Amino acid sequence: MKLSENDKWLLSFYRTSEISGALFFGRLARSLPAGPIQNDLTQHFADESAHSSYWTKCLNDLGENPIKISGAYQDMYIEAAGMPTNIMEILGITLIFEKRVIGQYAIHHQVQDLNPRIKTTLDTIMNDEKWHVQWVTDALKGLEKDYGEEQIKNTLKRYRDADQEVYKKTLAEHGERVEHILKGRLT
Amino acid sequence: MNRDTVKAFMAKQLNIPVTKLADESSNLTDLVHESFILIELVIALQEEFQVRLVQDDLQEVKSLGQLLDVLQKKKNN
Repeated sequence: MKLSENDKWLLSFYRTSEISGALFFGRLARSLPAGPIQNDLTQHFADESAHSSYWTKCLNDLGENPIKISGAYQDMYIEAAGMPTNIMEILGITLIFEKRVIGQYAIHHQVQDLNPRIKTTLDTIMNDEKWHVQWVTDALKGLEKDYGEEQIKNTLKRYRDADQEVYKKTLAEHGERVEHILKGRLT
Repeated sequence: MNRDTVKAFMAKQLNIPVTKLADESSNLTDLVHESFILIELVIALQEEFQVRLVQDDLQEVKSLGQLLDVLQKKKNN
């Protein structure tokens, strides 16, 4: 089955987003001191990098090349919420961003008659993404003793607000395109 | 906390001569062009000088001197 323009855009969007994530977490992994958070962040970085490769292979297997999509969403998050200054704030922004990504993949997964190659890729990546949310949640819990529960709660709220702002500005296109596919396949 | 020591550390982190940090009224965004490098620098400063900063601490910080002031204040608290 030939990919529609929407399919091609979406898979390319995922690929670009995973590359941006890998670059973001790779740099963080390099700058953090040794310890459990550095370990998990390094694995996280490796996963994001692998995911971008999965999407590239998925597109290639379906006879397509990725479209170049500009914009690093992580930068927009930082612009909207302000610069994170410590590991707690970095993990906070990561948690909100990862939840957004899982949400996007979950919506796409609902498409009926989803191409099996796309479904396999989504399943593989979503499995990793669940671990990403889990380890970041656990790490934030562990940081409560240093930063306080209230401070962490406020930080997450600030990033949730930023997420809404970024979504309105840029990520809404993803929602519109998936909705288009959902409608098209259901009717 | 000695300001010159902090500047020397910053210069090393940013790979620039310390003389570039002489003027404390310099804007941080002029000294560090990429936001991510600034994040890395702030994390490294906290680690090196054993201080803890949160975003609110840096809300009003625009210049090198203001950053040094915040670090000194936090260190002395």
